[in-house]
Amino acid sequence: MRTQRCPNGQLNESPSPLQCAARLHPIARAVKRPGLSSAALSVALLAAAPASAQQVLILAEDVPAGLDYDGPSAAIPASQQGMVNLLEPLVGYASGGENEDGIIVPDFDTFEGRLAESWEHDATDNTWTLKLREGVQGCNGETFDANDVVYTFARAKSVSGAAPIGWFLSNVGSIAGFTTDVFGEDAAAKKLGDEVVAIDEYTVQITQSEPNALFLPVLTIFGLLIFDKETMEENATEDDPWAHDYVNNTNAPGFGPYCLDSWRKTEQITYTANENYYLGKPAIERVSVRRVPQSSNRAVVLRTGQAQLVTGLTPREYDSLQDADGVTVGGVTGNENLFLHMNFGVEPFDNITLRQAIAHAIPVEQIIQNGYFGQATPWAGVVPSGYPGYKAGDTQYAYDPDRAKALLAEAGYEGGEGLEAFADAFQLTYVAEKESTLGPIVNIVQSALREVGIPATLNPIPQTQYGDRQLVKRDLPFAINDQEKPIGVDAGYAIQLFFVSADKGGLNNMVNHSNPEIDEMWSKARVEPDSDVRTDILGQIQDRLMSDVAWAPLLEYRTQWAYSDRLQGLRWYPDNSIRYADLNVAE
Amino acid sequence: MLLRYVLKRLGVGALQLAGLTVAVFFLIRWLPADPVSRLVSMNASDEAYAQAAAQLGLDRPLLTQLAVYLGFRPDLEPGILQGSLGVSWVTGSAITQDILQFLPVTLELITISFVIAFLVSIPLGMLGALNPGGRADKGVFFYGLFAGSQPEFWWGLLFVFLFFFKLGWAPAPLGSLSPMSMAPVPVTGFITVDTLIAGQPRLFVEALHHLMLPVITLVFVLSGPIVKMVRQNMLRALQSDFVLYANCLGLPRRRVARYALRAAMGPSLTLIGILYGFMLSGAVLVENVFSLGGIGQYAVRSVLSFDYPAIQGVVLVITAISLLVYLLLDLVHAAIDPRISHR
Repeated sequence: MRTQRCPNGQLNESPSPLQCAARLHPIARAVKRPGLSSAALSVALLAAAPASAQQVLILAEDVPAGLDYDGPSAAIPASQQGMVNLLEPLVGYASGGENEDGIIVPDFDTFEGRLAESWEHDATDNTWTLKLREGVQGCNGETFDANDVVYTFARAKSVSGAAPIGWFLSNVGSIAGFTTDVFGEDAAAKKLGDEVVAIDEYTVQITQSEPNALFLPVLTIFGLLIFDKETMEENATEDDPWAHDYVNNTNAPGFGPYCLDSWRKTEQITYTANENYYLGKPAIERVSVRRVPQSSNRAVVLRTGQAQLVTGLTPREYDSLQDADGVTVGGVTGNENLFLHMNFGVEPFDNITLRQAIAHAIPVEQIIQNGYFGQATPWAGVVPSGYPGYKAGDTQYAYDPDRAKALLAEAGYEGGEGLEAFADAFQLTYVAEKESTLGPIVNIVQSALREVGIPATLNPIPQTQYGDRQLVKRDLPFAINDQEKPIGVDAGYAIQLFFVSADKGGLNNMVNHSNPEIDEMWSKARVEPDSDVRTDILGQIQDRLMSDVAWAPLLEYRTQWAYSDRLQGLRWYPDNSIRYADLNVAE
Repeated sequence: MLLRYVLKRLGVGALQLAGLTVAVFFLIRWLPADPVSRLVSMNASDEAYAQAAAQLGLDRPLLTQLAVYLGFRPDLEPGILQGSLGVSWVTGSAITQDILQFLPVTLELITISFVIAFLVSIPLGMLGALNPGGRADKGVFFYGLFAGSQPEFWWGLLFVFLFFFKLGWAPAPLGSLSPMSMAPVPVTGFITVDTLIAGQPRLFVEALHHLMLPVITLVFVLSGPIVKMVRQNMLRALQSDFVLYANCLGLPRRRVARYALRAAMGPSLTLIGILYGFMLSGAVLVENVFSLGGIGQYAVRSVLSFDYPAIQGVVLVITAISLLVYLLLDLVHAAIDPRISHR
């Protein structure tokens, strides 16, 4: 049996520092009296200990399945959560102050240096010279320098992982050489050239192929976090020269605020504070994230005080915790939203008047009250309203069933007559795994559509099947979608992602929207160096998308968390992952 | 004779497994979605799609994929013949490693539950059968109906609410150990065994404490049909000629009951065997409620994410275990019933 001496001198059989704190905590002493069951004692110990030792227990739907952003699990939010706490970006967003719930929100107009201390942009040759921070150390004392940055971009360009997100973001930011040529047979195209070069130990120069305002935004995203070259190369093998297996299964070595302590996939991951973190050692010494699949159990355990933060509850559960003792529910209107997807390539959705009728038929306020318990606001555009470049559309579609009926008649389907021929198209598809959240909402939508004569039926399908039909086949006729969050914080990025024609650079044009005028405007905005002009073009595009009913935007719902009222410092990031270094527990 | 029988059954089992392996390989490829889409995510250009498909080996002809999986193309990747079940498309981990992590959790949970359910159900079933129509019999009948009237996850959630949240008798439903406890180094994967091997009695007690509610939930649900089965078979046995003969000879009631129980055990054991095989993956709801990372959860996650190698591996392993359990049951059946021989 291993015995360890606690900091207070007491001997402890467990190596966990929590146990040391728990043994001496006054509450723990108080409950050590006859008549209390051992279970009650352990409950009291656990409830008391984490806060006093600046340790927190987080309960989540999942823990990271992998830590490689170019690996198979990169699209899973729980995996991203691990990456952003172990690795550090070159650039971040400055704080924009606290919102009404005390959550710190970013100021998207102000970038601040992270591993890059400062930067200069030379518009004549599209180069960015990044001055790197000196004295930054990783978990084992590895020193950060320009080689780590060059290594990270070289790894991204190798497209050797299962899902090359690093390459994708570099391509979106127009970094020279990061073109689709890397997927060809030419091995030289996968090698990093002079587009990313180390000028000296703490200076890196990155060249763009064209002016593109997305350069700094993409550097903030999890898919370009910086690896520690030294440790990565130590764990590379002949078959896996870029250490994908190591990062997927063992650790993500970098210069982030936390170090990996233990990790059991699908069960628990524990981090300890990086003593060497350049912004100062995080206040929370130890963070354990436990997978608890049942959201109701996460809520119940939080109420007992045994956990300090829970994520992924349903709107109803967050609402039920609003009045719970010792618990705070906080949220932010960030980038999560709900919209109706109508496929331009499928009859009868190619009829704009029919799309307008459907948009007018949806009782958004009822959905906000019954589906989100008031924690949402109507969405007046097709880009998250907090993003730079957002513009509420000149055309809006307020709930008006009479207008919907009139438009339906104008479209040639008075009272819905003739629409029965499109029964398959009117299957309202949604992700089955989100039944507890979307179930009540799709029922409201179905009833509202039937009220005006549109014969909608419900079609829940698994997430992977939904993804396949949305992203690859693009054949979903009619769907309700609450999972599109553009990770690039920019209206232009969102437009390119969802609305530009696929052959003009569109990335996830799930409704097959194609408008040559919008494509043309986007091609101008993309390389427009004047930000005012660019914003103006993006505004025109958004007006046009709204009048086209490219999507039928319904609402923006709040990203929420429930946590101990002693937990402070929560901050929202566009990837919706919490950075544990922001947190502290009030004594 | 016995050895020959066992070898013959194992041989037949191996053929069944081989057939199932090939069938599952083709069947999952008929699932209505393309697993590549999960990888490409927002980056669904044709080039990125092709790259991801190649990473998964899905660019190869179907028969080549089968040959790789079975292990006939070790030059490309190791397969079953080389002892590899492939790599998960979600976690990037080796499937054998994943299964070795998840399977013991489920085996431990359901084995303990079945042993307790068995020990509880036999006397209850006997009690009902020996006093047909009496209060005990009615109580057993009511319990059998009550326990089976709701799904196990409902009972699980109810028990969590009552015994953890309201009464504080049970630990939080957060897995095999408290999140703040350091789990012992896995040796067998069975947490109760590994804590003892590591010489950590405190963790052993904690593990038992954490297993308490999930086991009670499963015992509560499983013992319903077992009690009913034992009671009915006992009743039938008690009405048979050999019991009548034994009663006529004036043998003590307890001894007659023992004879009847032996005759009643055969069908009950068959039921237990079938339930055990079913619960290997069917315990997923209880695993889910109590955050136990078992093979059922792994199977569901694999199916939902179209993780072909993981689905293939789970089906193969669960089938193999089910076949072994059925073989074991046949051997026990023959041991307690002299009318059955190994042929």
